[in-house]
Amino acid sequence: MIETFITSFRLKNTYRANSIIYSIKQFPIIRKILPDSLYKNAGLKILANVISILWEIINIFIGKFIYIAVMIFVALSWYPTNQADTFIHLFTFLTLCGGVLNTYMLNPTKDKYYAIVLMNVNAREYGLSNYYYQLIKLLIGFLPFTILFGLLAGVPSWIQIALPFFVVAIKLIVMNYCIYDFKKTNKASNENLPTKFVWGFVAVCLLIAYGGPAINILINPNIFLYIFIISIILGIYSLVKIHNFKDYRKMYKQILTESNVYMQEKNTGTQAIKDTSLKQIELDKNDTSNKSGFAYFHDLFVKRHSKILTKAVKKQSVIILILFIALIIGIEMNDEFKNKMNEILMVYLPYFVFIMYCINRSSSVTTAMFMNCDHSMLTYRIYRTPKVILGIFKERLKTLIKINLLPAILIGGGLALLLYLSGGTDNPLNYLVLFVSIIAMSIFFSVHYLVMYYLLQPYNVDTEIKSSTYKVVQALTYFVCWYMIQIQLPTLSFGIATIVFCIAYSFISLFLAYKYAPKTFKLRT
Amino acid sequence: MKLVVKNLKKNFGKKEVLKDIHFEFEKGKIYGLLGRNGAGKTTFFNCLNEDIEVDAGEFYIEDNDQKRKMEAEDIGYVLSTPNVPEFLTAREFLKFFIDINKNRIKNEKTIDEYFDFMKIEQEDRDKLLKDYSHGMKNKMQMLVNIIANPSVLLLDEPLTSFDVVVAEEMKQMLKEIKKDHIIIFSTHIMELALDLCDEIVILNKGILEEIDKNNIDNEHLKNKIIEALKEE
Repeated sequence: MIETFITSFRLKNTYRANSIIYSIKQFPIIRKILPDSLYKNAGLKILANVISILWEIINIFIGKFIYIAVMIFVALSWYPTNQADTFIHLFTFLTLCGGVLNTYMLNPTKDKYYAIVLMNVNAREYGLSNYYYQLIKLLIGFLPFTILFGLLAGVPSWIQIALPFFVVAIKLIVMNYCIYDFKKTNKASNENLPTKFVWGFVAVCLLIAYGGPAINILINPNIFLYIFIISIILGIYSLVKIHNFKDYRKMYKQILTESNVYMQEKNTGTQAIKDTSLKQIELDKNDTSNKSGFAYFHDLFVKRHSKILTKAVKKQSVIILILFIALIIGIEMNDEFKNKMNEILMVYLPYFVFIMYCINRSSSVTTAMFMNCDHSMLTYRIYRTPKVILGIFKERLKTLIKINLLPAILIGGGLALLLYLSGGTDNPLNYLVLFVSIIAMSIFFSVHYLVMYYLLQPYNVDTEIKSSTYKVVQALTYFVCWYMIQIQLPTLSFGIATIVFCIAYSFISLFLAYKYAPKTFKLRT
Repeated sequence: MKLVVKNLKKNFGKKEVLKDIHFEFEKGKIYGLLGRNGAGKTTFFNCLNEDIEVDAGEFYIEDNDQKRKMEAEDIGYVLSTPNVPEFLTAREFLKFFIDINKNRIKNEKTIDEYFDFMKIEQEDRDKLLKDYSHGMKNKMQMLVNIIANPSVLLLDEPLTSFDVVVAEEMKQMLKEIKKDHIIIFSTHIMELALDLCDEIVILNKGILEEIDKNNIDNEHLKNKIIEALKEE
């Protein structure tokens, strides 16, 4: 088993190193300087390997740090409850969410696909050795931060050390249940396609995690002790069961299909992503259009993709509505929460840049636009004439702004209402700025993604992403939005600045799109 | 009408894929473009379709001794892997294509007449294109390119995905429409090239050269082509 693990680790490292070299070669100027023979350059290969191993080490810690800092530690300041108890409470219920959403073993990753399907590596040995490795990484990765943040929150020392073991125990219990379910039904579950039951469980856990402290319902160290002991006993039992399970090959055969594997590797782009995108097409015989030309074409695209366009936005809006209702109830029931909320609303508008980034559908919509539409149509010269490109661009822009507007209106309106109900503000302009800035952010993201797509069209005819600039822009967008989480600024000044920025950005980028898209919007070679 | 290609060059890094292409393709003829794997046939088509930029040279349409730039409307490109918008039904795709090419279509027919022409069955006409087989998608791709009535039709191994019956139908159809078009047909199947094409052109080592097939039987022609392709 150790040998299998070492082989698989080497394999992963090799293609990671190749990916690093490939990415470097994608930058416009560097591409011309570097020769194709780069992949066999020993020195560079060693460097790429070192980077890859360093990344593996950083990866063990960085995710855990961000997770505890953002999901738990930042949230502590929202509640008036005892910080240590709140920390334990949040950690426990979020661990339950993570347990069902991320098993590692049932995640159809490329590594597993390459090793088990393409290279015929022993599935049990591969699956188990990598699973144990992931669990050890979890333990090592969590421990420094449960101690660090636990100390800051005043969590008892034994719990600081117990928490990582609790995480591992929950993962084992869930995995054992999945294996039990597989033995019973003969159907392996792909963790990237959670069932309604899983979503329901996650929603309940999240509600208890973040709702509990608001109404003073918490897990304290004594209760945690019982939960911990039970989890450890069940965890050990599960470990034995998982280790003795023999049918990993059969299970992986079901999970490691091409479309499953590439669905979660959305950014790599292959025919399999296209297959996944194709599943989003729905034909309802009533979905027709009385328009003509490219308006007709776009109209049908929107109607046939209602699953990822209108329906997804409606679901999102319902969740937003429920969250706001919960917050309003919280405000009405708890005065301390009410005051805290008022304070938050006056300085936490930057946080909503990240939220608006997360809920904006434009990125997945532009992917579907390429996979299901432009990928085929861009091979027709007539589709690449400026008239058609800009005609369809205009229709798409209208649609993107429109579909993203509904949740934005709910959030903007909801925040203004929360501000009013939580005690209001001296300056009525705050209500307007809150609402308009959220709408402006929504429009900004719609424009941003579409313009980037048209100016940097990153895919080639084989649906592979061939533009590092596009990836860099995507990553930058993410980091800027994520950075905003940590900023606290007065709502009025930040809101006005946001509105001005969004309007200016939208005008400039639309101008650029109209000027350059007819030249840039084509399949990459 | 002629498609004139002059001193066309295309390199990928240090590799010279198209060295110095110099050729005139005439209307009313089907040109069979033969070449070994990686010879640059698709690159040549991609250059003509302006999918990639050429490094040097030019190509244009010469009509009644008048030279003009090859516009988007002049070119139809049928790829070996069919590319059709899979969220549309075949009927909707045709309607869209007719809409945006309205000004160029001579003697516009009804959508069903076009389907009849391409022998697409009644029950397939309102199906989503994503549910079409590879060959059926290829038929649709061929059909829209023909409807748009381009002067130049580039066909990149289009018949390989068809069953024998459909391939025969397509061959007949190409023979019928060739009088109004310049058709360049790339293929690996020598028999097909000899059977269908009026001229045989070989792309070898980045150079395009015509094989003279006058006064020569098919067997000798085959040998001649293979010899030409083998040349180092």
